[in-house]
Amino acid sequence: MCRVLAYLGEPLPVRNLLFDPEYSLVRQSYSPRMMNTFLNLAGFGMQAWDPASLQPEAPFTYRATALPPFDRNLRHLSSKLAPTCLVAHVRGVTYSSEAVVTETNLHPFQFDGTRVVLAHNGHLRQFPSMRHSLVEHVRPELAQCIEGTTDSEWIYALILSQLDDPHGLPETRELADATADALRILRDVRAAHGIDTSSPVNLCVSTGRAVVATRFSFDYGWYPPEDEMLETDLPFVSLWYALGGEYTQGDGDWQMTEGDPPRSVIIASEPLTTDHSSWVEVPEYSMLTAELTPEGLEFEVSDLDA
Amino acid sequence: MPDRGIVDFLATVPLFNGREEADLAELARVMRRRTLREGDVLWRQGDDAREMAFIVRGAVSASVRVSGARAVEIARAGPGGMVGEIALLDGGAHPMSVSATEPATVLALGRLDLAGLLARQHPSAFSLRRRLAWLFTARLRDHLARLAGSHGHEVTGPPAEDGAQAFADLDYCGPPDSAYVRRMATFHDFDPLAVWGFLTSGRYARCAPGRTLLAEGAPSTACFLTINGAVEKVIVRGDRRIRVGLAGPGKAFGYESLIDGRPSPVTAIARERALLLVLARDPFEQLFKSEDAISRVFLDVIQRDILAALRQTLPPLARQPSPGPADAVLAAGPTDVIPTR
Repeated sequence: MCRVLAYLGEPLPVRNLLFDPEYSLVRQSYSPRMMNTFLNLAGFGMQAWDPASLQPEAPFTYRATALPPFDRNLRHLSSKLAPTCLVAHVRGVTYSSEAVVTETNLHPFQFDGTRVVLAHNGHLRQFPSMRHSLVEHVRPELAQCIEGTTDSEWIYALILSQLDDPHGLPETRELADATADALRILRDVRAAHGIDTSSPVNLCVSTGRAVVATRFSFDYGWYPPEDEMLETDLPFVSLWYALGGEYTQGDGDWQMTEGDPPRSVIIASEPLTTDHSSWVEVPEYSMLTAELTPEGLEFEVSDLDA
Repeated sequence: MPDRGIVDFLATVPLFNGREEADLAELARVMRRRTLREGDVLWRQGDDAREMAFIVRGAVSASVRVSGARAVEIARAGPGGMVGEIALLDGGAHPMSVSATEPATVLALGRLDLAGLLARQHPSAFSLRRRLAWLFTARLRDHLARLAGSHGHEVTGPPAEDGAQAFADLDYCGPPDSAYVRRMATFHDFDPLAVWGFLTSGRYARCAPGRTLLAEGAPSTACFLTINGAVEKVIVRGDRRIRVGLAGPGKAFGYESLIDGRPSPVTAIARERALLLVLARDPFEQLFKSEDAISRVFLDVIQRDILAALRQTLPPLARQPSPGPADAVLAAGPTDVIPTR
């Protein structure tokens, strides 16, 4: 019940993604178009890599449980930052006495000393029953870093644990493989616990130089009896992308300009503009990989068979 | 009194084939004539859909622009052709820009007027729905053929026998929990009794992942509606599998052949374990040709699915630069080509 956005490409003011388009990420916190009845009011987080900043390999990090449309600090910062890579997330939780709204549960996650960040849209059903079985698949030093209560932070730790060096800078292929391996571990653990209902795991994983994203659900189309999220499951786990030259405003509309080869990509839970006919919806069971190279942006969509 | 010329023209439009003259005269009263100069834009991609248009004279071009690329011409329409009906029927924005390629005259039909035609409790409304299903099926076949064409013409998916056997070998079971089915978004808009009638028109079957239910090029023996799970619709060429759709809960597949009698345009393979409503040819035809509330549910489910499928085929058709006009073979973008697992 969240919204996620990743950007990779030409330096771009953050406000062009978070505030300015009609259905910017911040607007998706209180008025998402593709979530029927759910809102995303449980906090905002972003990590932005700006090559002109000090220590450009380390992202600028911002997290706040304040409502993002009323967060003046966020608005001002968004006008000053022009990163080449951004991962941002607005968190949604169902109204429940068990929901924990706190900064430690805000995405994107990044453990100290690591180069990989992760944001997640989705949920692992029956996660509490799986958690202890995941411990054996997570490196102890990473398990100790888990501070929050979300399934997402465990997925993050699981992906890091599949890397040769969780504190190094992985190649894009290694990061993609680690993501797929983590999903396979989750599949096996679910099976061991007899969990066989829909659990979407739309992920955005990034190093600042590359983004790996998934549109994927375990047991797609199977719901527990009396599940109130049945109606919204399918639209809320959507994923779209716009690929091209640069994201700019022309003729009153925000759009990705022509780019061949492409130089920029936006990956988002839903398009940022009213007209989404020029965005491409990512098919279910897909993995996207995008990487900045000296020649431009390498981008690929492949089948994800976790 | 409606213009006699408009009535005569409407009698030539395939969508209105067979309608009585009184119906056409009524239709002519609510249509608006528009004259276009070369280059005039009827609407732009992304505009709210207020009307569709029938071409009386001249020609129009429909083009699609995907982010980061130039607009690509997808189709042209001349006298008797129609444009704009996808968005008018599914309620979304226009998926294509439409402009006149030469001086043209069109007749515009508004959203409410089309909705009124389809909502009538009259045989003509059902006839119109069936006509739309035929026309959309033909268009979907054209789009799929163009997508597949750039990857070669030899079908290399599972053999046709698999698809033919699929229907007979299914693991039939009892119906799903009715409370679950009633909560499915697909059926929200319908009378519960009509939905119940539709859901009891066929048999239910379980299906294991990886099972081929339809084979491209083979005749289809049944139409399916996914209740749980997911079935992937693909076109296989060489070692490349082009995914063209996913039938999750509430989505139908396999109807094309039963509508037009031609072989299946896609291969359908269960991606997850699935629970399916199976409509064999006889119950399918009964639902397709009847004119009652149950039939209306069925025709609406089919129409929604075809429209969604048509929309899904447009971005890949537009992804690569067009080598020529609309009837040329267009190539699918590389991001729609998924290697065979």
